[in-house]
Amino acid sequence: MSLREKVKNHLNKNPFKGYFRRNRLRPPGAVMEEKFMELCIRCARCIEVCPYESVKRADLFDRLQIGTPYVYADERACYLCMLCPSVCPTGALDPNLKEPEKVRMGIAYIEQDKCLNYLYVKDENAGGTQGFAMICSTCYNTCPYTDEAIKMEQFLLPVITDKCTGCGICVEKCPTDPKSISIIPAGMGNEDLAGLYYQRSRKNFKKAGDAEGYSGDDAIKKKMSIDASGSKPEFKFDYETTDKIDGWTE
Amino acid sequence: MAGQSKIKRYRRLVQAAVFMMMFIIPALNILEIYFIKGTFYSIDVGNAVAADPIAVFQAAMSSKSVNIYMALSVVIPILLMLFAGRVWCSWMCPYHFIVEGVSFVKRKLGMKKSFPVHTPEKKRRTETARLIILVCFIALAGVAGIPLLNLISAPGIISSQALVLVKFHYVTFELVFIIALIIAEFVFFPFFWCRLFCPTGTFLSLFKSERGMHLKRVSSSCSMCGSCKRACPMGLDPVTDGSSLLCHNCGDCIDVCPDNKKQETLRFISGRQHNFPS
Repeated sequence: MSLREKVKNHLNKNPFKGYFRRNRLRPPGAVMEEKFMELCIRCARCIEVCPYESVKRADLFDRLQIGTPYVYADERACYLCMLCPSVCPTGALDPNLKEPEKVRMGIAYIEQDKCLNYLYVKDENAGGTQGFAMICSTCYNTCPYTDEAIKMEQFLLPVITDKCTGCGICVEKCPTDPKSISIIPAGMGNEDLAGLYYQRSRKNFKKAGDAEGYSGDDAIKKKMSIDASGSKPEFKFDYETTDKIDGWTE
Repeated sequence: MAGQSKIKRYRRLVQAAVFMMMFIIPALNILEIYFIKGTFYSIDVGNAVAADPIAVFQAAMSSKSVNIYMALSVVIPILLMLFAGRVWCSWMCPYHFIVEGVSFVKRKLGMKKSFPVHTPEKKRRTETARLIILVCFIALAGVAGIPLLNLISAPGIISSQALVLVKFHYVTFELVFIIALIIAEFVFFPFFWCRLFCPTGTFLSLFKSERGMHLKRVSSSCSMCGSCKRACPMGLDPVTDGSSLLCHNCGDCIDVCPDNKKQETLRFISGRQHNFPS
């Protein structure tokens, strides 16, 4: 598609609908974004019933989406309790959806140049292990559908499968900064719907075999700076700590 | 029921209760008591559902579909409208409650001695204007293809902001709109938003029927003193405009009517009874 066609295509779309951003998801059971914007009356009932305070009310920076419900996966993910679809008065969240495994809020994808496990494998394949012995696997461990939605290849490399519900728990828990796993919202991978926000969500979907060619020198440098032989780290406690324990010698 | 009526006291009680409910409902929901849940866009009490008809209407219009949830949720508000008139505005709406506070402050400050009483032409113009504004608003929402009017629905915004405040301890930008309205309320004529612009109130008043509860002068003992005119927050003449779409059955005129002490003169009636010749 030429640039001119792309621009024309974008102008033909309703600018009030379809605004996507990574890790910003509609609550579970949401119909497609365009339909959602038509149906959602901003009544905030999904926000009210959410026991995890995951669903939040969009603010001014979300433009005309202001007032609509969002799950910001990097702040607080959706824990798939399935309360919000049952209270939606207009059917913007499908009220017939009861099974959490059928939720498709989006799909997770791992940025392999940031993920600690991928960096570890890359380092190991390159032959060096100095300072790289950091294996995380948090996404695998926190996923509510471990071994279904996320699988470990070579026992080390997390791979997303198409059973991913897009709940974002892995994103919330991911220890790297910036997050090395993120959720592409449903609809963002659909060029017709997302327009300018179109993003190929299946970039490394179910493709983890070749451990060669990862980049991410910054992340490696950061990890190289971690040194066990330096000074003792200081921790802050809100209670008194003692340096010595009776009967023990260091 | 002759004698001094206390409608205003009951009304204040209901208004205060509804205002408190906005904060109590989210608190109950945090405690996982889900018997009553929702905001003034849409609320559930047990199994009974109610939703703002204009919100549902816009959702149905922009998505070009109606589902059973939407259809059921407008039944209660519309029935209330048909039977009791526009009582939502005067007895429940939190924004109206706030604005009544504003006009009280204005009177205390001496900014306005009394509500203006409008001439019949002006009242007619007001009625036409608010309907035209509603149609324009709906057309705007239709062009945008999203329920745009919910962004300016004062009671919905106030209650959802109360929810966000109770649950997350912050407020979102929508509150700025309400603050702007309250400031404007000090500058413009009283109840300008309720009277002319409010999409919720205007849409609800379309369902006001002649047979529902409305104001009527029922006896000849009226001394034409005009105290009801001065008390009316909407600038109507209660003696003649009882069934006007602008009248929201607040009952202030019944409270101030001096003739009501001797013989029942001005009261709420339902149905087409007591057609007293004026």
